[in-house]
Amino acid sequence: MNLITVAARNALRNKFRTTLTVVGAAVAVLAFIMLRTVLSAWNVAADYAAKDRLGTRHKVSFVLPLPKKYIDTVRAVPGIKQACYSNWFGAKNPKNDNDFFASIAIDPTCLDVYDEMLIEPDQKAAWLADRKGAIVGDVLAKKLGVKVGDRVTLTGTIYPGDWQFTVDGIYKAARKSVDRSQFMFHWEYLNESIPERRRDKIGWITSRIDDPTKGAAISAEIDRIFDEKDVQTATMSERSMNLSFMAMLSAILTALNIVSVIILLIMMMILGNTIAMGVRERTREYGVLRAVGFSPRHIGIFIVGEAVTVGLLSGLVGVALSYPIVELGMGRFLEENMGSMFPYFRIEPTTMILAVLLTVGLSTIAAIFPAYQASKLSVTDALRRVA
Amino acid sequence: MILMIPLAYNLRNLTVRLSTTIAAAGGLALVVFVFASVMMLSNGIKKTLGRSAQPDVAIVMRKGSDAELSSGIEETQVGLILAGREVKKQPNGQPDGVGEVSLVILLDKLGADGVSNVAIRGVPDNVMTFRRDVKIVDGRAAQPGTDEVIIGKAIRGRFKGLDLGQTFEMRKNRPAKVVGVFSDGGSSFESEIWGDLNTIRSSFGREGMVSSVRARLQDPTQLDSFKLRIEQDPQLGLLVMREAEYYEKQSAGTSLFITAMGVMIAIFFSIGAMIGAMITMHASIANRQREIGTLRALGFSRLSILTSFLIESMALSLLGGAVGAIAALGMGFVRFSTMNFASWSEIVFTFEPTPGILLSAMLLAAVMGLVGGFFPAVRAARMNPILAMRGA
Amino acid sequence: MAEEKAPSAKPIVELRGVARTFFRGKEPIVVLENLDLEIAEGSYEALMGPSGSGKSTLLNLIAGLDRPTRGTAIVAGNNLSTMSDGDLATFRSRTMGFIFQAYNLMPVLTAAENVELPLLLTSLGGAERKKRAQTALRVVGLEDRMGHYPRQLSGGQEQRVAIARAIVNDPQIIVADEPTGDLDRKSADEILNLLETLNTEFKKTILMVTHDPAAAERAKIQRRLDKGRLL
Repeated sequence: MNLITVAARNALRNKFRTTLTVVGAAVAVLAFIMLRTVLSAWNVAADYAAKDRLGTRHKVSFVLPLPKKYIDTVRAVPGIKQACYSNWFGAKNPKNDNDFFASIAIDPTCLDVYDEMLIEPDQKAAWLADRKGAIVGDVLAKKLGVKVGDRVTLTGTIYPGDWQFTVDGIYKAARKSVDRSQFMFHWEYLNESIPERRRDKIGWITSRIDDPTKGAAISAEIDRIFDEKDVQTATMSERSMNLSFMAMLSAILTALNIVSVIILLIMMMILGNTIAMGVRERTREYGVLRAVGFSPRHIGIFIVGEAVTVGLLSGLVGVALSYPIVELGMGRFLEENMGSMFPYFRIEPTTMILAVLLTVGLSTIAAIFPAYQASKLSVTDALRRVA
Repeated sequence: MILMIPLAYNLRNLTVRLSTTIAAAGGLALVVFVFASVMMLSNGIKKTLGRSAQPDVAIVMRKGSDAELSSGIEETQVGLILAGREVKKQPNGQPDGVGEVSLVILLDKLGADGVSNVAIRGVPDNVMTFRRDVKIVDGRAAQPGTDEVIIGKAIRGRFKGLDLGQTFEMRKNRPAKVVGVFSDGGSSFESEIWGDLNTIRSSFGREGMVSSVRARLQDPTQLDSFKLRIEQDPQLGLLVMREAEYYEKQSAGTSLFITAMGVMIAIFFSIGAMIGAMITMHASIANRQREIGTLRALGFSRLSILTSFLIESMALSLLGGAVGAIAALGMGFVRFSTMNFASWSEIVFTFEPTPGILLSAMLLAAVMGLVGGFFPAVRAARMNPILAMRGA
Repeated sequence: MAEEKAPSAKPIVELRGVARTFFRGKEPIVVLENLDLEIAEGSYEALMGPSGSGKSTLLNLIAGLDRPTRGTAIVAGNNLSTMSDGDLATFRSRTMGFIFQAYNLMPVLTAAENVELPLLLTSLGGAERKKRAQTALRVVGLEDRMGHYPRQLSGGQEQRVAIARAIVNDPQIIVADEPTGDLDRKSADEILNLLETLNTEFKKTILMVTHDPAAAERAKIQRRLDKGRLL
């Protein structure tokens, strides 16, 4: 038995109030964890970006294409190990308009460049031989209800019409940041099916470099080569490219950050309110303790000890609740239905630790003022108080 | 006879433990603030895009496209579309309509890191007569056939090169000069750059094409026949919709996303705030046991006690709600710039209140007060007067 | 009741010219004025007087809970008027034992743990503390209830636990402020018996403030206080 354990037990004195407080603060913790996980999940792509890949796009706009012959030039740049090209196809599932997934026309080399997409050798071979073949991510395959060998029709938006494919392969992810809802097919098939004047244009180039440390230099070199031509490029590391995508949503990200701070404020108000009430009620008791010889510092420890107990409990309950709700519930839903934006929605261990540290820290802060007030009271006044 | 406990009793009791009342009301205020702000933003998104639509205008895009950005129509078809008899004619005999090219370009943000997509529109010479609400508020209109552009007042100064007299690059050695700033009644066009149709087309390799055609109809009822005729023609491969419907779809995704996030956040927040209110009311009642016992002994019924505490709880929450709502109104001065998912370009939105939003925010506060205060109030009503007066 | 002086006792409490003034806003309220008092070691004294006479204030001064505005207070060799708050706290933990009208036990601790509480201020180990608490409870006759919580005890039993707590650190002086105020006659008698035992058997100096004439009667010396003056 010591001051801290007694303080902790004091928290159980008014079970109803402590329970309510813990529930209220735990809900705030849950919301905090949810928001932070949304933010970190959005950044997953950037955090886990391949270190040895560069992306080359049209300098002026994402929607403008590059000439196909650029791929040869890029492949010839020293330091480039491999390079491939892709076009954003942007199709919809005719059976369900609202399904959102990435559909991309690729050059076969892309399967090597994006080696984190794991595909069985025989499926890969089948696709290479099939002009109208498609390779689908395992999450998307489940959503569309297709398996290898099935026929799939997609409705084009940028390239209009109904497009027929055969699913030749289903890929799995080697890394958590991989979008498992992509639909890929042969660029050649796209190119030969569209009107003459739209042909031989590619969306972007992805290259792998020998030496990750030379990324910036090689990017600059690529852009320099194309600077003289009609269509200029912007080349950067895959991580930078992902970050720049994120930056476009910066306002929403900032708002979410602000909201997560507001949650902490609400948490502190709930905790602080309860702590203050408890201190007020126990004024006479603290007086007795001081009469017996405990110093104001001891009383402070008492008050903070009780506050921290409640805070710690709230944090732990909140974290415990977050696992089923955020990771299993929300996380699975987002991974399956918005897999392109949230390929990997898991609570970071650091977020959980941060949440608990915050509740403990905030409850300590919330206890400071009541503790200070209690210490200012003379023993005799405290003894006289009728809560 | 039901004696009602005077309102003053409850209201004054709120001031007794001021710090506790403020803490609980503060939590409620925060919830209402966040909720109202999010609703206002979602409304702002819908309104901004909604204002871009005119009730008598139809938009024509390639079949299968869901946005101007991904649509392409042959130049030769434009005349055909606008020749329809449903299309209104201008005094000079020309059809009241435009064919425009819609693109996005990447520009460096000012005041923040990174780049973002800005919508750029290639417009024909008659654009100002077609869109009569557009006014030049600074500088002058752009000269047709040149590299001059005008920018919407919402994006002015938000990106590098987007201010009067400044330039930005459309393509290499092809700078565009900003000669004017326009307003359009707070519509999404105010987040766009407008340039000469041909200049834009050739800068971006879209010669001979437009993204969309807009036609002003004789009157809104003509839409159906216009739509039928155009869509039926397999040669054309086009779709027609009311401009209002188009913009509703443009706003739907982002607006829904924001609303969903806001509602989720509000649910969590309100649980926290309700619990805060519950704790406060509970403690308040626990402290007033003797008083409550006395009131009962004096003849006030259980119902009147229940009601009076519910009122006290709701007064607390309405107070917090009012503070939160007023603070949310303050957000009306904030401009929120984000990428609209549907158009893939940055649009500036504002937080736009409506009486409905403020009412639902106050309703939320009242509900929180009601639910939060319910159990404590029931407890107060069920107190045994004798035990209560003894202070047990 | 006639006053008696305990034989060959040196004063354990010496108050000289003690005054205590409180301030309500700007208004000074003189509660004690130029008071002299000597209490012999081993004495058992009752302090009586009407409300507002200053008896609780006097008790607080002697107990080291408060400092005089003027004058000197020497208790068990300590000059209280010059001691800091921290020193006073230490003094109280070593020298004083407190009994209050409202028992003031912590509801979340058992009887034994409540008694053990003051020992947390010492450097004793857990086992030793428990042993002393048990001993104190034995003295008050509640050893068999050591594991009970205050809510499981009657009013008289709670006060006895409080007394055990007051003696667990082996104080020289016990101050009791209306110790029988909340008790029925029977329990009150038990408490008074206990106090008498503490005084006669354990040689504790006892100073009791009380309204109860029956309680005052049990003390060796009765003093009256009125309007801040000893009569």
